[in-house]
Amino acid sequence: MSQPTSAKPAARRSLAQEVGLALVVIVLATILAGYGWHDAAPGRPNTFLNFDNLVDGVATPMSYYAIMAVGLTVVIITGGIDISVGSIMALAALGGATALQGLPLDAPAWQVLPIAFAVPLLIGLVCGLVNGALIVGLNLHPFIVTLGTMSIFRGLANVLPAQKTLPAAGKRLPEAFTTDFMRLEFFGIQPLPLIIMLGCVAIGWFYLRLMIAGRETYAVGGNEEAARFSGLRVNAIKLRTYALSGLCASIAGMVSLGRFGTASTSTGTGYELTVIAAAVVGGASLAGGKGTALGALLGTLIIALIENGILILRLAQEYRLIIIGLAIVVAVALERLSHHLRQRRASR
Amino acid sequence: MSAFVQFHDITKTFGGVTALSGVSLSLTRGECHGLMGENGAGKSTLGKVLAGIHKPDSGELVIDGQTHAFGSPRDALAAGVAMVHQELAFCPDLSVAENLCLGRYPRRAGGLLLDHVLMKRRAEELLSAIGVALDVSRPMSELSTAQEQLVQIAAAVGTNPQILVFDEPTSSLSATDADALFLLIEDLKKRGLTLIYVSHRMPELFRLCDRMSILRDGRYVGTLKKEEMTHDAVVQMMIGRSVSDYYPRHLETAPGDTVLSVRDLASPGKFSDVTFSVRAGEIVGFAGLVGSGRSEIAQAIFGLDSRATGRVALDGQPLALGSVKASLAAGVGLVPEDRKRQGCVLGMSCQANISMAILDRVRRLAFLLDRPAEISVSSDYFQRLQIKAASLDAPVNSLSGGNQQKVVLAKWLARGGRLLIVDEPTRGVDVGAKAAIHQLIDELARSGMAVILISSELPEVINLSTRILVMREGRIAGELTRAEATQESVLRFMTGIERSAA
Repeated sequence: MSQPTSAKPAARRSLAQEVGLALVVIVLATILAGYGWHDAAPGRPNTFLNFDNLVDGVATPMSYYAIMAVGLTVVIITGGIDISVGSIMALAALGGATALQGLPLDAPAWQVLPIAFAVPLLIGLVCGLVNGALIVGLNLHPFIVTLGTMSIFRGLANVLPAQKTLPAAGKRLPEAFTTDFMRLEFFGIQPLPLIIMLGCVAIGWFYLRLMIAGRETYAVGGNEEAARFSGLRVNAIKLRTYALSGLCASIAGMVSLGRFGTASTSTGTGYELTVIAAAVVGGASLAGGKGTALGALLGTLIIALIENGILILRLAQEYRLIIIGLAIVVAVALERLSHHLRQRRASR
Repeated sequence: MSAFVQFHDITKTFGGVTALSGVSLSLTRGECHGLMGENGAGKSTLGKVLAGIHKPDSGELVIDGQTHAFGSPRDALAAGVAMVHQELAFCPDLSVAENLCLGRYPRRAGGLLLDHVLMKRRAEELLSAIGVALDVSRPMSELSTAQEQLVQIAAAVGTNPQILVFDEPTSSLSATDADALFLLIEDLKKRGLTLIYVSHRMPELFRLCDRMSILRDGRYVGTLKKEEMTHDAVVQMMIGRSVSDYYPRHLETAPGDTVLSVRDLASPGKFSDVTFSVRAGEIVGFAGLVGSGRSEIAQAIFGLDSRATGRVALDGQPLALGSVKASLAAGVGLVPEDRKRQGCVLGMSCQANISMAILDRVRRLAFLLDRPAEISVSSDYFQRLQIKAASLDAPVNSLSGGNQQKVVLAKWLARGGRLLIVDEPTRGVDVGAKAAIHQLIDELARSGMAVILISSELPEVINLSTRILVMREGRIAGELTRAEATQESVLRFMTGIERSAA
């Protein structure tokens, strides 16, 4: 498929897109703040624009999605897709819970934290490598492969743990990981999920913009054949992106485990759709070659604002799916439209 | 005899490229008329205009006194024109019968159900009309190419056409299958059909055609009657393009040591027995028809063909086949045939495209992209090749074809190396950029690189090369020195009539 023929530098085009997304965020926030001001009881704070809502209602819930959206964006840039992320998240969280529940409640941080990080991340890495190996090694379509592994990983999450929810009844995870780490309070908020999210976005930005691996990712997605003819190791590059996506999903699982102190067989169910939506709203093109880490963050933020808006506006929760769905379709339609306009302008 | 089919001043362009330019030609009823020309001469396009696949930009098509303007193959079928295509288009998982009745399935039970019995019978009738017996319930994918072609002919004849167009029907057939096809075509002629036979293979045109017309660069050159058809006459009419008088400067220095030596290179179904060598400072031209195995050899040397066998050595060191990594490490570069599909990433900037083959060099701290180094290398080649673009950051799809090709060349110049293979370097490139690319290739050889030039344009290969290898049907049919190489001598090897020049 031919790309737009505007002579604008590629980097500036993606910046323009990010500015556009930021504008959408501002517009949404302004509308919600206006309603929140109107809706607040006299003398009470704005129902949207208050610290508690912004952190607990928007930022913290979106952190899982944003972390996964960064990994998925890298996959989408290569022209692939990974819909197994929700299941990987569950498997990673359950794996972490299994490893941690054996430790005493007051085990020291130096003992707890390495396990709390390493076990979920290792599980995510292995799951991602399995996805990548099937896609690259057997030359199968990524949608089909991850549709299969989504089911398989979820099934493993159902079968492997002894209970549906971990840790087992009467047990609790060591506080060094939960209360004293993931739920650590600073000025009345629990910033760790946010910090980890921003860290993942920063690493994603670093990977895509500064590392050779990032350039290779865009090249494979832009034209796999030309990348191969330029001597790039296309298979290794693709394998790497699925490993990254698995890793991101497991980080989300780890954050969720630490925050809630539990993991269940249904952790992350249905997350893949929200994450794909976030990546696509954030400007990643399913045709490959386009997408940024910052876009993934902004795309997730837009979806989080919409979800929070449903609460603020006191709309029935049943409308949530419809509104999210509309957001995806509108985002893609806008992208097509701007593509079309650019082409018209370029041809004149 | 009055004209049955008349083309009047037909012109057809594809996005700026003229495929046919003012072609006028008339056919008489019941003849087999050959259309001959080099690749890109416009012979297939003319056949497709008659079959309603291409709508001409201007000009008139008259069949049996009636003027037609076909908008689709369906219109052409209604006027009695059917075509047997070069690329066979079937649904491979459906049966022969289902394919033969595609779009006109017999129904029963009030149109709800497919009448399998009737469908089978119809398909068998269609096949027996051209004297073929096949199990029509077999899936199409189980058939050989020759059988598929018979099914296609049966489908075409089944529409009861007055005119039947064959587009290079023997391009994927073995000699015996081709013979059977010729008998069938002769039989169809006896039944009174008017046939158009598009091909670049002289022996079969001589055998089948009552008259043949030659096209060159989209123009009509002339028509020969059966008794006038000689090899020399046809070649004479196919040539005639003025050969530019650029004298390559790499010839001023004697070639150096052997850089590439290839022995018994073969790949199943693509090419075999390929042995040649290229020395430093030489441009070895590969001439041959499309599909004669030239690009496939190039890809095998570049490591893209994992089934290739044989011995390839670079600077005396054996080169592992089937590994791009090994070929790159040994210093092989490839400017591929299809610029848009294989050459560049259209959505990325000139800079990113130029640096794509040297990403392993523009690095710091092991895995970071060294942007300053990348910019300095790519802007250097950007300027040296005088690439016309808004900036180094402009996406490649905003460039003209010639400048896109320069970007691909820049990619490999930036990498350097010992051997550069350029495959159709000037296809779809305007005249100015073409001259610049020719000069660039010449300079590469002068600087001591070994160059393989693959081109379907005879003047280009003949003019630029130190010596020329001519491919035919996956083998090297002959080698010509610069002094021996003329359009005639190359064409002789290409088309398979190896008489020495008179």
